[in-house]
Amino acid sequence: MSGLEATSDVAAVSPASERTHTVGDWVRAALRGLGQLLITFGVLILLFVAYELWWTSVQTAHEQHQLAVHLQREWARPKSQIPPISTVPLGGGIAVLYIPRFGKDYHPVIVQGTGYYQLAEGPGHYVGSAYPGQLGNFYVAGHRTTHSAPFNRLAELRKGDNIYLETGKAWFTYRLENVPGDPHAKWQEIVSPYDMPISYPVPDQPNPHLKPTQRVLTFSTCNPEYSAAQRLVVHGVLVARHPRTPGYRPPAVVNG
Amino acid sequence: MYRWLWRHLPGNWLAKLAGCLVLLFGVVVLLFQVVFPWVDPKLPWNNVGVSRGAGAITVAPHHPGPQLHLPGSSG
Repeated sequence: MSGLEATSDVAAVSPASERTHTVGDWVRAALRGLGQLLITFGVLILLFVAYELWWTSVQTAHEQHQLAVHLQREWARPKSQIPPISTVPLGGGIAVLYIPRFGKDYHPVIVQGTGYYQLAEGPGHYVGSAYPGQLGNFYVAGHRTTHSAPFNRLAELRKGDNIYLETGKAWFTYRLENVPGDPHAKWQEIVSPYDMPISYPVPDQPNPHLKPTQRVLTFSTCNPEYSAAQRLVVHGVLVARHPRTPGYRPPAVVNG
Repeated sequence: MYRWLWRHLPGNWLAKLAGCLVLLFGVVVLLFQVVFPWVDPKLPWNNVGVSRGAGAITVAPHHPGPQLHLPGSSG
């Protein structure tokens, strides 16, 4: 590895110092090999941590930038020419998310789909769940610790916090609240990874075919951090909508 | 093993050092482009949504929900 070691190597094979190998030589060689192997393994693990916590976020930030640029271009067109949100393909951006509690630099693009590759791009909308502003449940899952960790601070949200969504057509304001008339759908929950009902049109009811009467939002991420044991969930209800017009931004969304 | 590598790299120590750096770079690229992306989806903290669970694979679904369960999404 080092120049020093190499020098001694050369000496070892030169005829002047040639001698028979003792048992000690073999033990030393084996221990040295083991030591190098362990150090190599340690470096490998450190590289993997760097990959998880840094590199995946670099990649996601790059993809988020491209998604945002693409959306701005799409949304600059006349409203009648903006493709309907339901036609956005998997991995395409459908909305921009603003949460004032997370600061003005927080504006991730929500993508279509919740497969591995979609979630690596940003928070993902469950295909089949409602779209922003629609009756039913707009359900989005996002990473807690890797891939830019868009939902890292989900636990910091408080009851009554507003969440803003910008689509090609409108701005939507959801407020984190217990869903009215839905006693199990509390504004914040910690559930099992198999708790499908959080995503149902009427959330937290066992029947996925109930006809929704509320416009609900549901976000989920893994819980606790670095674990898959549970899911942290927040629910909100639609409280306002405003058409997307040039220059308009909800007052709470200071700057994008 | 590093001793073996150093002995088999050609040239003087400067060339050997350069060879080491090139090899190291190659290994890191391979790890970041191929190996780690392969491991990443298998990690628990990348499951962020909800799914019907392991039983749903062998047993008929209890209730066909409105969600399309996409490949790779335990989340």
